[in-house]
Amino acid sequence: MILIVCVDDDNGMMFNRRRQSQDRVLRERVLGMTAGSRLWMNHYTEKQFATENAPQINVDDGFLNEAAPGDYCFVEGDDVADYEKWMEKIILYKWNRRYPGDTHFSIPLQAHGWRLTRSTDFVGSSHEKITEEVYER
Amino acid sequence: MRLNFIEKRKQEKEAIKRQKEEEARRKAEEDKKKNKKLLIGAAALLAVLLIVAGIGSLTEKNPGVSSNPPAAETSISNADTSSTTSENEISEPASSEPTQETDSTPEESQTATSSAVPATSFSASDIPAYSGSGAYVAINNNVPYFTDADYTTTAFENYSSLDSLGRCGVAYANVCKETMPTEERGSIGQVKPSGWHTVKYDCVDGKYLYNRCHLIGYQLSAENANTKNLITGTRYLNVDGMLPFENMVADYIKETTNHVLYRVTPVFDGDNLVATGVLMEALSVEDKGDGICFNVFCYNVQPGVTVDYATGDSSLDGSAATTPATGATTAPATQPAAGTTYILNTNTHKFHYPTCSSVGQMSDANKQEYTGSRDDLIAQGYEPCKRCNP
Repeated sequence: MILIVCVDDDNGMMFNRRRQSQDRVLRERVLGMTAGSRLWMNHYTEKQFATENAPQINVDDGFLNEAAPGDYCFVEGDDVADYEKWMEKIILYKWNRRYPGDTHFSIPLQAHGWRLTRSTDFVGSSHEKITEEVYER
Repeated sequence: MRLNFIEKRKQEKEAIKRQKEEEARRKAEEDKKKNKKLLIGAAALLAVLLIVAGIGSLTEKNPGVSSNPPAAETSISNADTSSTTSENEISEPASSEPTQETDSTPEESQTATSSAVPATSFSASDIPAYSGSGAYVAINNNVPYFTDADYTTTAFENYSSLDSLGRCGVAYANVCKETMPTEERGSIGQVKPSGWHTVKYDCVDGKYLYNRCHLIGYQLSAENANTKNLITGTRYLNVDGMLPFENMVADYIKETTNHVLYRVTPVFDGDNLVATGVLMEALSVEDKGDGICFNVFCYNVQPGVTVDYATGDSSLDGSAATTPATGATTAPATQPAAGTTYILNTNTHKFHYPTCSSVGQMSDANKQEYTGSRDDLIAQGYEPCKRCNP
């Protein structure tokens, strides 16, 4: 699976069971990147993609157990540590802002041998700079 | 002729009688209105008294909240609330930093609404003592005290008038794109909120201990130098406590164009001039809290510095015999207990609180979690971070 996660400056993902942030341009970018593949997400995440026309989206609350090699998984609140061994790639989107957080991305990337292979900045619809980082083993 | 005269007198008497009846009726109506106003006033006063009683003894039960202000009842100044309704055009907010500098002081227009007063269910017992780390704590399981009657898609901003000590009260708004700024924030340096001191410490990020903290952040309200919206807050309260919540709300509004009920209540202990913290409540309207829902208390503390909340005076904590801004190493605000969790940088041999902004910038390979005593870490050759000063 190829993991997609959005984090703030403190590696936070959610606060009080709600996403820290969202961005329309980021969604469009994810949909463009995953076109022709499968993009898994849960019902909570589906709500933010509701207005997009995206046949690649597969919705299942247990999607991390369903994803096959090469599938993309957009994770907002699930603990992904137990699925790390099945991950082929991790794509981090950094908001470059600080939000309150009580759910954090739990994989220590460098300590676990993940290498940063690409880093790209882009302007979001409500974020001045979003950084897309791609990690591979 | 005589008959006409009698008839005329009779008609005049009837007219006078009708006039008196009309006056009596009008007077009765006015009395009724006056009574209604008195009842509303009494109800509002009762609500304020209930809140004060509910929050009373906050710092008595909260010894960890830095310093040692004189024990007294805790109060929320909210006697008079003014209201403004912004009708600005939509545009990108100029700045995310709710601090500093000058300009004019836009004052309010309308009168208070009782909805600016937080619910009485907020109580001091809901606020845990400051633990020595963490800029905020969830209150009431993160459920704000708004009621269904508060839901509205009409933009408004209410700011309490300053009390007799010059302190801010509750600030309450329905923030949305209309209330957000359309221009760069101006200077607010001329505003001196209650307890204000200009003082610098080397252990404080940016040096200045105090910031002029907007209750409702500029990026949400476009309120620049409104004295009713600015309190004396530590840098830590401003940047680590309040700003992340403002960011979350601002981004949500920009992405969804929804409204968010947003209320900030400064909590003062007795006659203290500096607030011990602020209660921040927010709830998104159109999706009934699916997007934004929080209720937190942000502590007005600064690691490494003791604040006298009565006056705003401050000093380095502990026995460090240094004066502010000397560049000397500072002692921690409180000596953490043996079981405190720290984040170690195994490369630089610095240790941090988990909430320290430096932790997010740290390489994962160099990051290590440690739970134990501060002294042990120092004995192992580690140094406390100068930013969070653990």
